[in-house]
Amino acid sequence: MLTLQDLSKVYRTRAGEVKALDNVSLQIGKGEFVAVCGPSGSGKTTLLMMIAAMLRPSRGTVRFEDRDIYELAGPARAWFRAQNIGFVFQMFHLVPYLNVLENTLLAAGTVKRNGQKARAEELLQRLGLQQRLGHRPSELSAGEKQRTAIARALLNQPKLILADEPTGNLDAENAQGVLRHLQDFQQSGGTVIVATHGHAAREFATRTINLREGRLVDPRV
Amino acid sequence: MFITRMIFKEVWHRKVNFLLAALAVTTAVAFLVAFFTASKASERETARLMLSMGYNVHVIAKDADIGGFLMIGIPDKTMPEAYLQKLAAQNSISYNHLLATLDGKMKWRGMDVVLTGLAPEVCPPGQQKQAMTFTVKPGTAYVGHRIAEVLTIQKDDVIDINGKKLKVERCLAESGGLDDMRIQCSLKDAQDILGLPGQITGIKAVDCLCFEKGDPVATLRKEIGTILPEAQVFQVKSLANARAKQRQMIRNIFAVLLPFVIIACGVWIGVLAVMNVRDRRPEIGLLRALGYNTAVVCLLFLGKALLVGLVGAAAGFLLGTELGLQFGPGVFEITAKTMLRPELSLFVRSCFLAPLFAMLASLVPTVIAVTYDPATTLREE
Repeated sequence: MLTLQDLSKVYRTRAGEVKALDNVSLQIGKGEFVAVCGPSGSGKTTLLMMIAAMLRPSRGTVRFEDRDIYELAGPARAWFRAQNIGFVFQMFHLVPYLNVLENTLLAAGTVKRNGQKARAEELLQRLGLQQRLGHRPSELSAGEKQRTAIARALLNQPKLILADEPTGNLDAENAQGVLRHLQDFQQSGGTVIVATHGHAAREFATRTINLREGRLVDPRV
Repeated sequence: MFITRMIFKEVWHRKVNFLLAALAVTTAVAFLVAFFTASKASERETARLMLSMGYNVHVIAKDADIGGFLMIGIPDKTMPEAYLQKLAAQNSISYNHLLATLDGKMKWRGMDVVLTGLAPEVCPPGQQKQAMTFTVKPGTAYVGHRIAEVLTIQKDDVIDINGKKLKVERCLAESGGLDDMRIQCSLKDAQDILGLPGQITGIKAVDCLCFEKGDPVATLRKEIGTILPEAQVFQVKSLANARAKQRQMIRNIFAVLLPFVIIACGVWIGVLAVMNVRDRRPEIGLLRALGYNTAVVCLLFLGKALLVGLVGAAAGFLLGTELGLQFGPGVFEITAKTMLRPELSLFVRSCFLAPLFAMLASLVPTVIAVTYDPATTLREE
């Protein structure tokens, strides 16, 4: 489903060049739950952003279902992203002035499908947020915020969910809950890639990849 | 929902930012509205004063004795009545009122009197203006105070002038000038009495005197000279100068203050918009990650600016009108408060220009917003 070939990313800063990702090659199949582990600064987020078609690699290719996503023009890439990829972030990235239902429906703005609202309500119910539909993010607990973000990620029925430290701001119980929801998505045929520097995600992962200073620790993956 | 609803929800969420931005627009609009409301009132008062002071442009026959005209105000030569329509038909001359007259000195019942025939006033096409002078119906006359007193003439008397019978419509109040020795009748009656059919001695006008530079009389003479080569033009300069000076003063004050107000308010809105964009970096990053395009991000910020402009326009109009009504008379030395009134045309203009102004001031922050790299934004957060 996803093939990364010789992927490198170099950031140019005032202090000089920083190599965030160095020659990473990787294949991820449909239905996998991949945990990308490594300390802060190891290149996990950069890798996720590249897979998400948001950060053009300095070198190498990202192929999604045999299509080089960086050969697509900007708007087409945005469209591809909206249709195929869901995001879950450590900081939740909920729009503060929208309520839970509206935040979930934010994903529907780019992919027009019938019954999105009903689907959003159903998802939120499944995630235990049926009593919170009209609440704003500031009125939610961290776990509820992240579950809202998961609902938003799931709304467009993506093929892939990219989660960047999704449990970083959660207690152990909520972290387990969030990972379980991601696992449910994976078990229903979706693909999940979770970037984490913790260990919780490994229990749910079908495969773990370790990154150190932008390189794969075990290049055989 | 989404864009409109998001704009309104964001405005409600960040009320202070919105109110401060709207306050900037309100300030700019209020300044402009107050200024224009007061200056319009000032212009109206000037026009009224000008009207009460009389006509300020006189067109007489080219061969009329200028010295005699300047001494007694009565031209000694006539010109065709058709000149009036010829002048009135010109778009190049701006005027408010045109009045053709036929003046003639004559001996009547032992008195030296001036007979003045008045044609109905002509206003520019499509403009109905209240006549500056009374309209004398054919067969009637307005008799000057001195004549009426000496000859004991009263309203409704019928007087006979060279065989023409005229009913006295009114005996005029004392003016202390030549009008006390004047009998005024319709132009046609005066032409019959004086035996000058189709002739007039002069055309009086109130013009707008919009000439900003150079000699307005020379310009007027040149303009009218091309249309009526057989005429000469005089202007009562003191009146013209008073009006021109007043307008110039208004323009000068406005020209100095306007750029400062506009720039200050524009920067104010721009800074608030930049702060808003910075506050919303994660939101912008998220929207881009979700596949929203540049146009949507633009709409979010320019739509908000539009709202800021509309609210500022409405509030600014109300505030500016109130300020104009309160302080206008002092600043512009307007004596008649009835001249001051809300200018609804300014409201319409404000509703169009203020949103445009707010959107222009928000343009750079909007460009900053759309150029945010979502990957960088989301990574930094």
